[in-house]
Amino acid sequence: MTISVTVFSALVLGALAITAVAPLLLLVLLIRDWKRKQLW
Amino acid sequence: MNSVNSAILDASTGWAILAGFSLLWVALGWYWGRHAGQLDEYMLAGRRVGLALGTATAMATWVTSNTTMAAPQLAFQIGIWGMLGYSLGSLGLLMFAPLARRIRSLMPNGYTSGDFVRIRYGKTAWRVFLAISLFYSLGWLVSMGMAGGILIHALTGIPYHYGMTVILAICVGYTLLGGFRAVIGTDFIQALLILVGLVVIAVLAIGKVGFESIHTAVLAERPELLDLLMPAAIMFLFNNLLFGIGEVFHSNVWWSRAFSLREGVGFKAYTLAGLLWAPIPIVAGFVALAVPALNINIPAADMVGPMVAADLLGVTGAVLVLVMVFAALSSSLDSLLAATSILIVEDIYRRHLKPQASAEDMRRAAARVILGLGVLTWILCAPRLTTLAELLYFTGAFVASTIWPIAAGLFWQRTNPTAAVAAMVLGSGAGLYSYFAIGFYVAALVGAAVSMLCVLLGTWLAPREFDWAQLHEEHPLHLGARS
Repeated sequence: MTISVTVFSALVLGALAITAVAPLLLLVLLIRDWKRKQLW
Repeated sequence: MNSVNSAILDASTGWAILAGFSLLWVALGWYWGRHAGQLDEYMLAGRRVGLALGTATAMATWVTSNTTMAAPQLAFQIGIWGMLGYSLGSLGLLMFAPLARRIRSLMPNGYTSGDFVRIRYGKTAWRVFLAISLFYSLGWLVSMGMAGGILIHALTGIPYHYGMTVILAICVGYTLLGGFRAVIGTDFIQALLILVGLVVIAVLAIGKVGFESIHTAVLAERPELLDLLMPAAIMFLFNNLLFGIGEVFHSNVWWSRAFSLREGVGFKAYTLAGLLWAPIPIVAGFVALAVPALNINIPAADMVGPMVAADLLGVTGAVLVLVMVFAALSSSLDSLLAATSILIVEDIYRRHLKPQASAEDMRRAAARVILGLGVLTWILCAPRLTTLAELLYFTGAFVASTIWPIAAGLFWQRTNPTAAVAAMVLGSGAGLYSYFAIGFYVAALVGAAVSMLCVLLGTWLAPREFDWAQLHEEHPLHLGARS
């Protein structure tokens, strides 16, 4: 059973979307921790 | 191997990039390490790490040379299941989230994963566990040192031994200067570099080749890579799942983070790190499936990732890959150097060799151990005896055998200590046998299965009560948690 091009591209695009959002999320959390003086 | 001929960057550009980032990491290590004079600050960053830095360090550490180099290699060798199977490694982080919370509440003064095994199961189990854990740590260090040399050679033509030496020296340098705080701080920047670099490469690859072309070319030349029912690959998927869980559950890399995180942060940090990590091997592995469409000659399977990126994106792509993988390697090497040094200093130096050691003695010993680990790793990396994936999965049998003793020991009050020892010894032995008799893709699977049987059967036949309060053991040097 071969994976179709539609499923293949959806899989990669979904993974790519999460990977693209991750750095933004980390920066938002960093600023929040810094404001609360809970960085480390 | 003849990748010098196919190197995209010239050696002088490669040296300039390495020098620039090396200076940055060392300077940051020195800056963050200025106030880490106290042992607890140096080794556990004062146990006050917040969610952002906690999430980033867990994620960046788990994005290793193995993710950026072996995920494309596995996609190239076993296709779609290679990507998905590698992605299941995220379950190690996700499943460790409740353990991190439990560890912090049961052991507010805890220091290493060895502390837990010693108190929970006794000295025999502790020593078996230390042997497994140190063997695994060394295997991981060597696989990353090798990856550094291979990558730098593939992209710049700089000889393998020079690249491997530089990456080891830099990581040893800034970890020595700044301790755990330097590790966590640089991990945040390295996480951003990895994520941004990967997104740029994948977007450019999709734009340049396209899903349709990649799919058609793979289907024509190597259709088995897109087969959803490839038996060895499906076995690899479950094997990788258990390998990832075993790696995280036992390793002091993850336990030291659980101890260093602020109260209430551990569960959230590991959950978020697992969710953000899961798509990375899929994106990295996808790049390797472009090989048939691009008609690239791959001289060695473990060079497929950087070779494809460099072919697709030229000099800019090669620079991007070099920066990204340098960050991935550094973020894991520094964590492993720091966590392994804590394990050796606390569990071997202080508990076995010098019980009266002062905080200053331990601080000095930690620095020497970091340096010694760097030298030992260099010696083992020098001959380049095996491929990255082979080396990585050889340790699978050992780490998977620790899953049940660790999880059952943390949550079940009646887990039998002798069964825990048997689980680690017999699980490792059976996993190792299957590695040689069947293949690398079943070692962790067999190790975990035998280990599970030992723990379940031993505990069912002879349950042993345990008083959780014993885990609140005060450290003689008063290195306990702060509120």
